[in-house]
Amino acid sequence: MLLLSCPSRTSLLARQLRRAFHDQRWPGWEVVIGIETHAQIKSRQKLFSHSLSSSLKDPPNTNVSPFDAAFPGTLPKLNQECVDLALRTAIALNSDVQTRSSFDRKHYFYPDLPAGYQITQHYAPIALSGKVYIPGRDSPVRIKQIQLEQDTAKSSFDPRTQTSNLDLNRAGTALLEIVTEPDLRSPEEAGAYVRALRAILRAIGASDGNMEAGSLRCDVNVSVNEVGKPRGTRCEVKNLNSMKFMQAAIICEARRHQELYLEGAAVPQETRGFNEDTFETFKLRSKEEAPDYRYMPDPNLGVLFITRERVGRTKKTMPELPWETRDRLVHIYGLSEQDADILLNLDAEREGHEGGAVVYFDRLCKETRDPRVTFNWMVHELLGRLHAAKLTFADNPLSSSQFGELVDLVQSGTITGTSGKLLLREMLADPSSSRTPTDRALNLLSASGGELDVNELCAAAIVALPAEASAFRNGHKNVINKILGWVMRESRGRAESKNARKYLISLLEKTP
Amino acid sequence: MRANVRRLWTRQISSWRHAIRDKDSSVNAFICTSQPGSTSPERLPLHGAGIAVKDMICTSDMATTSSSAMLKDFTPPFDATVVGLLREAGADIVGKLNCDEFGMGSLNIHSVHGPVVNPFQTASSSSTPWVERERRSAGGSSGGSAAAVAAGMCYAALSTDTGGSTRLPASYCGVVGLKPSYGLISRWGVISFADSLDCVGVMAKSVAATKRVFNILNARDTKDPTSASLSARETASKQATQAWPTFALSDLRIGVPQEYFPSELSQEVLNPVREAIKSLRCRGATVVPVSLPCTPYALSAYYVISSAEASSNMARYDGVQYGLHVPAPPGADLTSAAAIYTQTRAAGFGSEVQKRILLGTYALTADAFDNYFLQAQRVRQLVRDDFNLVFRVPDVLSPRTPEDRPNDQGVHVLIHPSAIGTAPPLGALDADSMATYVQDVLTVPASLAGLPAISVPLVRKGEEWPVGISIVGQWGCDEMVLRVGHFLENLQ
Repeated sequence: MLLLSCPSRTSLLARQLRRAFHDQRWPGWEVVIGIETHAQIKSRQKLFSHSLSSSLKDPPNTNVSPFDAAFPGTLPKLNQECVDLALRTAIALNSDVQTRSSFDRKHYFYPDLPAGYQITQHYAPIALSGKVYIPGRDSPVRIKQIQLEQDTAKSSFDPRTQTSNLDLNRAGTALLEIVTEPDLRSPEEAGAYVRALRAILRAIGASDGNMEAGSLRCDVNVSVNEVGKPRGTRCEVKNLNSMKFMQAAIICEARRHQELYLEGAAVPQETRGFNEDTFETFKLRSKEEAPDYRYMPDPNLGVLFITRERVGRTKKTMPELPWETRDRLVHIYGLSEQDADILLNLDAEREGHEGGAVVYFDRLCKETRDPRVTFNWMVHELLGRLHAAKLTFADNPLSSSQFGELVDLVQSGTITGTSGKLLLREMLADPSSSRTPTDRALNLLSASGGELDVNELCAAAIVALPAEASAFRNGHKNVINKILGWVMRESRGRAESKNARKYLISLLEKTP
Repeated sequence: MRANVRRLWTRQISSWRHAIRDKDSSVNAFICTSQPGSTSPERLPLHGAGIAVKDMICTSDMATTSSSAMLKDFTPPFDATVVGLLREAGADIVGKLNCDEFGMGSLNIHSVHGPVVNPFQTASSSSTPWVERERRSAGGSSGGSAAAVAAGMCYAALSTDTGGSTRLPASYCGVVGLKPSYGLISRWGVISFADSLDCVGVMAKSVAATKRVFNILNARDTKDPTSASLSARETASKQATQAWPTFALSDLRIGVPQEYFPSELSQEVLNPVREAIKSLRCRGATVVPVSLPCTPYALSAYYVISSAEASSNMARYDGVQYGLHVPAPPGADLTSAAAIYTQTRAAGFGSEVQKRILLGTYALTADAFDNYFLQAQRVRQLVRDDFNLVFRVPDVLSPRTPEDRPNDQGVHVLIHPSAIGTAPPLGALDADSMATYVQDVLTVPASLAGLPAISVPLVRKGEEWPVGISIVGQWGCDEMVLRVGHFLENLQ
């Protein structure tokens, strides 16, 4: 059975696995995983041309320059925005930015590669030896290298007309290839790594990291060995475009290798694909059939020099990274780890932090509001309302100052919690109103009959519910809740329940 | 007054167009000619100049074929930067010029448009009608450019030079050919043969005309990532002026590299070259022998590097996006890209291009890369080092130069024959013989080092065919090289 990619469960599972040292799915065997991730860089223009980076919504072949179509006479021009985003990634992944890196041509013939080569960084990548920390694991996942490269075009085959269609929108778009060392030991760890990487790429605005849309793609290298024995032969599974498929591919490979070894057979080194219908991997080509890419230094692009000053400048503009945010939420605000993760996960689905949940929360807490009360209001009330309306946090129409004012009204006792919830509902229904929450709250109060006389309401309740009143006097103390409910309903939530209860009891006990 | 000027100008332009009409059928220099356009304003620097362009340089109004069946009907969607600069300067782009396919060849016989015939006719055979003159090669790969200038079919021509493709045909046809320093003239819009070596060249009848056109093209272009920076240009020209402030022959040290006088050098070249060097000395120049010991290895390094880059650059011609497409035969495996590309690439590329693709592909395979490609790059550096040791002016691009101090014992320029012989007869050519490669031996080192080199024709009499003499300078010393070329021109 597949394990679902749920973050909290994953880290728990990973911890359990480490404790047991072997996986219940393959006791006595160790699975060794390395991941190559291709992330589309969120730059306005392509890596070497002026055409715009495309989204899936763009009609085919609309963002194409002569260079992207490999017209003769065209030359590449390195887009410094892509270099900056690669630098941010390198810094966020704690890696060594190389002062000198260069570009190489990787040759193969395929219609989705108009020039017959892809420009990549084979011999001298832009960054080496990084680290990524993932939940539930003390040692970091080591990053071998980060390189800049071009994406290919998209080709699709129409079986009905027996023709291939080419869309050059993606051709030449900037990619980051991020390669780990073989440090991962389970499909869950692999998932946790990709999620952590994705959150980082989104936080620094380097990529939208959307696996379903193809802006984040993974190749996994899997080998299996008996615990304590040398590493097995690795197989690469290419082009996994969802977390679920990636984990399924790893499980499938782990089982396949184990079975081969148990039969006394060898695992042949090969490149494999993943069938999304059967959830199985299949052979693409053997090591012997592997193409010779004839890597050649690109004679046009020369050396990419990156000065220490440029790295320093970039460091200063780096936003807070996800693990730093988590640390802050737990240690400065005193949120529980679980609550911190709730806020982080709200942001993990979006690119950049502007307008994100953590920033919203920070703004709310800035004005000396109690972080935990604020969190409860924000997550349980505000987010709860939004979810009930099938909206996400991104759709939240209330500014942090509007929402903060509401929290303050409740905290200062100007309105009750129940009134606060009512007010929130009203604010969400008409968020564009120019009235401040305080005005609205006063309105709410006056609309329900001006100044509230709780004592009068309590007296009225006893009159309205004679049977309950006498039941109370006869010792059925719990009936008080029913009478109190009447008061609360009539006051439309404005009555303070503790006081009302006290006053009701005194009234009931006073009069026979 | 104004009308007179216009008439004069029109007469000039039409003299070139007349010459094309009258002569080109027996030269085959032009692949196509443009429609005469409107007159450019006279204030423009190239007002009135008819300029023809090698067919490897993109023009949006004329097909650009690189003399290949692969691009037979290909018209680029843009003008090359150099073409744009010429148009802005008021030049009339009269047409596109024949060349060896993708610039690969030394004789201009590897062209889908047929060979270029050298327009030269010796003084003593002037009784024979010109069209029945001896049929000799115009040289390559820019044979059309040299022939068009020699036959008076344009004021100047743009060529390219990867390993001698400008200087060799200039020598064979008796015109001036300049290969500027690598990176001075933009390559945007110039179809790549080997990017690290390719340069746009200028050909004209005189050094002055060559310089006039070069000055227009010598500009930084941000669209070309290999375009030299403004600071490198400034530093180099400052160094050059410092090294030769008087521009006087008596202050000039000229080096004669012994390796450039191989045994294959013919007497008909050696004698006039010796004469020219002697008269330079007579006018006060200091002539010293120098040695560039790595020269013998330069040719093999050149063929490995240029072929490797060519194999990579030719990969784009697959019949998918543009150019020739030969459909796969019935029954072919439509799922195999290789099987489909084979049809187009086998039909579209000529034999010389195919040969170099194979050689370059091999040099880049994992097994051969270190021994061939990397080894060739090391030789290339040694060739550069050789030059840096003999030149007076330091190499501003190389961090290896110990100091930016001029080397007082060094020479300002080098002088050597442009080719080992005169233009070979077209009929007797064996396209596959090693001799056709050996021709490049004298021109390739300057290409590997990215240095400016100019071939200037020497005076010929009687039965004598043109001979060119080459001046090579340090990177960025193009002005100096042109100036020395001008002295040579005036010796005669």
